[in-house]
Amino acid sequence: MSALPIELMSPAGSFESMMAAIQGGANSVYFGVEQLNMRARSSINFSISDLPEIAALCERYHVRSYLTLNTIIYDHDVRMVKSLLTAAKAAGITAVIAADQAVIAMARQLQMEVHISTQVNITNLETVRFYSLFADVMVLSRELSIRQIKDICEGIQREQIKGPSGKLVEIEVFAHGALCMAVSGKCYLSLHTQNSSANRGACLQNCRRKYKVVDMEEGHELEIDNEYIMSPKDLCTIPFIDQLLDAGVRVLKIEGRGKGAEYVKTVTQYYREAIDAYNAQTLTPEKINNWMLAMEKVYNRGFWGGYMFGQHLGEWTNTSGSTATQRKIYLGKGNNYYAKSNIAEFKIESYPLQVGDTVMVIGKQIGVVETTITSLHVNDTGEATIANKGDLCAFPLNVPIHKSDKLYKIVAAEEMA
Amino acid sequence: MISITQQRDKCIGCNYCVEVAPNRWRMSKKDGRSTLLDAKERRGFWHIKVPDHEWDANEAAAKLCPVKIIQVKQL
Repeated sequence: MSALPIELMSPAGSFESMMAAIQGGANSVYFGVEQLNMRARSSINFSISDLPEIAALCERYHVRSYLTLNTIIYDHDVRMVKSLLTAAKAAGITAVIAADQAVIAMARQLQMEVHISTQVNITNLETVRFYSLFADVMVLSRELSIRQIKDICEGIQREQIKGPSGKLVEIEVFAHGALCMAVSGKCYLSLHTQNSSANRGACLQNCRRKYKVVDMEEGHELEIDNEYIMSPKDLCTIPFIDQLLDAGVRVLKIEGRGKGAEYVKTVTQYYREAIDAYNAQTLTPEKINNWMLAMEKVYNRGFWGGYMFGQHLGEWTNTSGSTATQRKIYLGKGNNYYAKSNIAEFKIESYPLQVGDTVMVIGKQIGVVETTITSLHVNDTGEATIANKGDLCAFPLNVPIHKSDKLYKIVAAEEMA
Repeated sequence: MISITQQRDKCIGCNYCVEVAPNRWRMSKKDGRSTLLDAKERRGFWHIKVPDHEWDANEAAAKLCPVKIIQVKQL
């Protein structure tokens, strides 16, 4: 049983996701700014001018903020790295997640807290000892087993390996989200086929496609068990979270800066509940089962336990993309909020909204809010049962909305098939 | 003449354009993105018209660009 608090770290690819992480109960968020992070291709990266707002938001909610600066770095990037670190330090960002030695050295010169990225692939205690000269928190390689993780955590205690802060080094692991066919992101498939380097944050995810094996002598083509043989299922550690935390892990990290805010909120929320239940010694198989079912609603490729128990082979997905049991459909955007009566008004821009529908509002300030439509007013003409494209519709909502907020309808995935 | 266009703010600084067309592209040490030399900016897009003999190198740059932000056209 762990005596120290467990930190839950969530991904924030946008302000919407950052708010969703906070709502879900994250203790910290990680995010990329400009191009030097592993989601550089993502169009929703933050810019350097967003840093003060990120820091202020995190401070307001007492959440730690981590700048991800973990690609390989070329000479032409060095000044940009320095600019980013200086701006992050000035804004009050808690720490930088780094892989390249240049970034680590520059961050330390600025007396910034450093966390070692998964791109470093830490797999043994001696590497932890080496990086303890610079970093207080280190994420371990995703390919380690719980037994190996435990050995490293015990080694830190036994040998009193301390970081620059003078405290024992904290071990972080990926608890949930996408796994890579290569060793924690060190993949050249995208680079070799499409010149697009995963190690510069531009992975094109070739591994998520379907492949055939071709007999080059006689031309026979084979599909292997109808599986996507290079696309692992997503990691989910909730079924054995007690073992993972018993091993001495201090920080659980959720993958998904490229995923939607509803994914971030849902996954964060259930890991929060699981950690709290672990601390209160109230984890039960029923609770775990319910959390698993709830997490299947948002983006996933099917779940497995990763390499935590030392499997020889991975488990591969059998479909392209997500197997989430729910999908969201964009309906329209915010128009007005009547605070006295707690009524939110939206402009419908695509599909109809009906009484009885479950909807989700996603926005920068609102994060992710879900509700069921119990009554609907359309175009100021009184109560109605349906709002169509072009209509202004209003329904009760306890949280104020903004013009930038988007309204989505939640539907079962099979309804969309 | 040919025209070259770059949507610079989406550059991830991979350096390939500089490798294949070093006379037209340079990595900015200021922000780590590639700069289309002598180009003018309009609404986030950088443009320049250059002589035909620059086609091969810049077409290669456009093909190699992992984020597809370089466009070359024969005028």
